[in-house]
Amino acid sequence: MLNDLHSIKKSVREEAERAGSLQDIQNLKVKYLGKKGVLTNKLKFLGSIPKEQRPEYGSSLNEIKKYIEALLNKQEDIFKSSELNKSLQTQQIDITIPGYYIPLGHLHPITLVLNEIVSIFISLGFTVEEGPEVELDFYNFEALNFPKDHPARDMQDTFFISDNVVLRTHTSSVQVRTMEKNTPPLRVIAPGKVYRCDADVSHIPMFHQLEGFMVDKHIRMSDLKGVLELFIHRVFGRNTSVRFRPSFFPFTEPSAEIDISCVICKGSGCNVCKGTGWLEILGAGMINPRVYEKAGYDPDLYTGFAFGMGIERVAMLKFSIDDIRLFPENDKRFLEQF
Amino acid sequence: MKASYNWIKEFVDISMPPKELAHTLTMAGFEVEAIEQVDDDTIFDIGITPNRPDCLSIRGIAREISAIIGLPIKDNPVKIDKEEGEGPDIDIDNPDLCPRYCSRIVSGIKTGPSPEWLSKRLESCGIRSTSNIVDITNYILLELGQPMHAFDLDTLSGKKIVVRKAGEVKSFTTLDNEKRPLSKDTLLIWDGEKPVAIAGVMGGQNTEVSEGTVNVLLESAYFNPASVRRTSKLLNLSTESSYRFERGIDLEAVSFALDRAAQMITENTGGQVTAISDKYPDTFKPQKISFSADKVSSVIGVDIEKSFIEKTLVNLGFKIELAEEGMVATPPSFRNDVEKDVDIIEEVARLYGYDKIPSTLPVMQMSPASEHRTQELVKALKSSMVNSGFSEVINYSFMNPDVLDKLNLSSDDKRRNLIYIKNPLRNEDSAMRTSLIPALFNNISLNLNRGEKMLRFFEISRVFLPTDRKLPDEIVQMAAVFHKKKASSIWQSKHDGFYDLKGALENIFAELKLSNVSFIKDSNAAETYLHPGKAGYIMIDNNKAGYIGALHPGVAEAFDIKGDITVAEIYNIDTIINMIPSKITYASLPKYPYVERDAAIVVNDDVTVSDVMKVIHGMESDLIETVNLFDIYKGKPVPEDKKSLAFSIRYRSAERTLTDSEVDQLNSEIIKRLQDNLNVELRS
Ligand SMILES: [Zn+2]
Repeated sequence: MLNDLHSIKKSVREEAERAGSLQDIQNLKVKYLGKKGVLTNKLKFLGSIPKEQRPEYGSSLNEIKKYIEALLNKQEDIFKSSELNKSLQTQQIDITIPGYYIPLGHLHPITLVLNEIVSIFISLGFTVEEGPEVELDFYNFEALNFPKDHPARDMQDTFFISDNVVLRTHTSSVQVRTMEKNTPPLRVIAPGKVYRCDADVSHIPMFHQLEGFMVDKHIRMSDLKGVLELFIHRVFGRNTSVRFRPSFFPFTEPSAEIDISCVICKGSGCNVCKGTGWLEILGAGMINPRVYEKAGYDPDLYTGFAFGMGIERVAMLKFSIDDIRLFPENDKRFLEQF
Repeated sequence: MKASYNWIKEFVDISMPPKELAHTLTMAGFEVEAIEQVDDDTIFDIGITPNRPDCLSIRGIAREISAIIGLPIKDNPVKIDKEEGEGPDIDIDNPDLCPRYCSRIVSGIKTGPSPEWLSKRLESCGIRSTSNIVDITNYILLELGQPMHAFDLDTLSGKKIVVRKAGEVKSFTTLDNEKRPLSKDTLLIWDGEKPVAIAGVMGGQNTEVSEGTVNVLLESAYFNPASVRRTSKLLNLSTESSYRFERGIDLEAVSFALDRAAQMITENTGGQVTAISDKYPDTFKPQKISFSADKVSSVIGVDIEKSFIEKTLVNLGFKIELAEEGMVATPPSFRNDVEKDVDIIEEVARLYGYDKIPSTLPVMQMSPASEHRTQELVKALKSSMVNSGFSEVINYSFMNPDVLDKLNLSSDDKRRNLIYIKNPLRNEDSAMRTSLIPALFNNISLNLNRGEKMLRFFEISRVFLPTDRKLPDEIVQMAAVFHKKKASSIWQSKHDGFYDLKGALENIFAELKLSNVSFIKDSNAAETYLHPGKAGYIMIDNNKAGYIGALHPGVAEAFDIKGDITVAEIYNIDTIINMIPSKITYASLPKYPYVERDAAIVVNDDVTVSDVMKVIHGMESDLIETVNLFDIYKGKPVPEDKKSLAFSIRYRSAERTLTDSEVDQLNSEIIKRLQDNLNVELRS
C-alpha cells in the first residue's frame, strides 16, 4: 500500500518535470488533487484499510498530498510569472513621446530677486513696510531734506501728479512714514515700485527698489558697513569684494555709495564695469538728523543708517541680463528662463 | 564736470599719475566717471554731487586735492596795476536775491579770436571758444567757479546797473536770440532804462559783446540759488552759470574773480580798467559749528584721534577753536554745505577713508519681526498661480486713457476716473492705471506677434483710484489671462480655456482654505468686455470678489488678439485677507465606510451643474457626503437641446455602516427630487 503511494509521488515528480505549460500543471492538479483525482480516490478508500494500518497510511497520504501541492504550486508560479512576462513583452509603449503637459509657470525675475533679498533681511530681524506709490511731495522729498528749489531734486527726474503729489522716485519715502508710526528701535525694509521720468537704453520709467533702515540709540557707520557686507556676501557670494566711497544724498550724512567687484570680470576691468573693475550697487549713509526732526524723533538721542538699491540692477548682475528694457517687456521666452 | 590734469597742476604740485589721482578723487567722494587723453593732457570727467558746488571749478578741485593729500594750494597773484576812473553805479532792489554785485569797466579793448592755449583749454573742458572777451569770462567760470558776464558798455544806457525783478516786463530776448517769457518775480539786470540780462542765467541780445566792441562792463555777482533755479526751471534753460548759481558760489570770492578777469582782459586785449564797484550790503558771516570729537568717533564706529580731526579740518580750510566742551569749527565761505556736526563728521570720515572704517554688526534688542500680511498673501498667490502654469508679468503702472474705450467701459464706470501725470514721457503713459487688464492684453498681443503660443500670464499690482483725499486709493489686484491654443500639445484638451483658468483660481482658493467660494452668473455680464454667455462673478462668502470670463470677441478685435482668451480678476487682495480662516480645526476621520452610487441624468441645456448640486445638497439628509460630477455628454442619443450629466454621490453615516437598501432608497429620493424640480430624465 505505502509503495503504491511512493510510486504516485515519483510519477507526479516526473510528470511535473515534463510539464511544458501552465495548462499542463493545472491538468496535473486536477489529475492528482481534483475531486476525482488519484489522491482523493485513495482517501476514499481509507475505510477499507485495516484499522491498525490506518494512522500510518493516513499520515503518509497527507504528507504526499502536501508534497504534491507544494510541488505543483511552485511549478504553477514559475509558469505564471513566465507567461505574465511574455504577455507584458507584447505591451510596449513609446516612452519617448512627450509627457502629459503639466504647465509650468515662472515668477518674474524681479520677484525672484526681491524674494531673495527680503528673506535675507527678514532673517536679520527686519520687518517689511509699504508706502504709497503716488506720494506726497513731503514724504518723497521735503521730509528727506530735499527742499523745494534745491538742485538735489535734479538727481531724480520726477513725474508730477500735482504740485504736491508725485510718483515716488525712491522707496526712501517710506522712512518718515514708518518713523511717524513707530518709535525706535526700528529695523525696516520697504520694497516696491518707483518712478523716474527717464527712458533710454539704460533707463526705464518704472523700476523696483528696496529701502532699508535701522534706527536706535547707538548705531554706527561701521554697523552699516557690517550689515551691507553681510548682505552682499549672501547675494553675490563670499568672494565678492565690497568698496564704500563717499557720496551725497540729502537724507543721509555721511553718505556712501557701495561698489562690488565686477561680477563679470572679477575686477580686472570689462565693458560692464567700464574698465574700473567695480560696479555700483547700493546707496547708503547715516540718517541725517534733519530727517529725525521731520519725523518727530529727538535727533540727539538716535542714530541710524539707511540704504537703498535698485532691484533691476541686482537682477541684471545676478542673471547677466544686458538690457534693462527686457523687464517690463514680458516676453514669454524671457520670463521662462527664470 | 570736465577737468584738465595740467590745469589742476597749476594750483597744486601733484606728482601722482592721472589714474592714481582719479582713484584718490573717487575714494574722497568725487567719482571720476571717465578719463580721456587729449594731446599732452588728461581730462577727467568728475561727478560733482549737488552739495559740493565749490568743486565746480579747476581751482575748487585742486583745493580739495590739496586737502586730501596735504599739499599747499598755489594761487595766481592778481593785481590791477592801474585803475582809471570810477566803476559803474550799482543799485540792488532785492538784496535777498542778489547779496553782492561787483563790476569794473574795461575800456579800449580789442576783440578778436582767443590765443590758441586759451581756446584749447576751454574746448578740452567742453566749452566752445568764440571770441577773446567771452572766452575769458568762461575761463574764469571754469577756473574759479564764478560765472561772469561782459556787457558792451556802449549799448548800455548810462554807466549804471540795476538789479530788479521783471515786474511788468513780459518777455526778454537772450543772446541766443530766443524770446523768453518772464514772470513778474524773475530777477533781471537793468541798465539806466531797460533790462539787459536775466540774472544768473543768460545775458541779453541787446547788450551782447560783438566784433566791434571797444568798452565792456564786467559783471561778477552772487545770485540767490533758489531764485536762479526757479528762473532756470521757468525758462527751461540751464546754463553753465545758472548751474553754479543754483548750487551756490563763494560769496567772498566774487571780487577776486572780477579782478582776475579784468587782468586777463588787459593782458590779452589791452585796455584800461576802472576802480571796482562792489555792492555788498551784508557781508558774509561765517557760522560756528560746535562738535565733540567723541561723537565723531562714536558715529563713525572707530576711535579717531583729536589731532587727526583738527588737521583734516584745517586742511579743508576750516578754522578750529578748542572750546570747554569739544571743538568749534568755522567752515570757509565756499563750503555752504557744512551746517551741522554731522557734516563735520562726514568730512572727517571722508578723509579718514571709508575703507579704513571697520565692519561691525549692530547690537540691538531682539524684537519680533512681524510678517507683512499683504505681501505674504501676494507671495502665496504668486506661487499658487505659478504652480498652475501661469507666468508672472510686471507691467508699467501707466495706462493709455484710450484703452478704456477699447474695453467698452460704460461712461459712469469708476475706472474712468483717472489720475493723470502732468509730465508723461508719452501720451500712451499719461494716466495711472485703474485696471490691470489692458496691459495683460498687450502682453498677449506682443507674444502672439512673436510667434509664442499657450500664453498664461498673471500680474499682482496696484491700481490707482482717485479719492477726495490728497492721495488716491492704491488697491492691490490680481489679474490673469489665458490664451489657449488647442492643438499646441499632443495631449489635446477639448474644453474652453475658461475651465483652465477657473481651475487655477480654485486651486488658489483651496490653498488659502477659502471654502465658501462660488461662481455665479448675473443678469448683467460681469464686465462689458466679457462674452455675455461665458462670464460670471467669483463669490467669496457671498461677496463679489472678482470675475472670470471669456473675452468679448469685439474687444479682442479692438486689442488685435485672436483666439480662445479667458480673463479673471480679483478686485482687492486685501479684502481676501480677512476672509482667510485664521485657524485650521481638525475634523476627526470617519469611522464607517462610505457607499457610492452613480446617477446619469438628462437635463435641458439651460440647467446648470450648480442647479443640480443645489437640489442634491438641499435633501433633508446628513448622509450625503460628496457629489462629484464625472461626465458631461452632448450628442446622440441625447436630444439636441439636452445634455447628460453623470454624478457620483458618496453616502456615509458618522454613526454606523449604511445598508445598501437605505442608500438605494435615498438615491431614488434624490432622483425623484431632481425630476420634480429640474425635469430631469434618468439615462440608462
Ligand atoms: Zn568688469
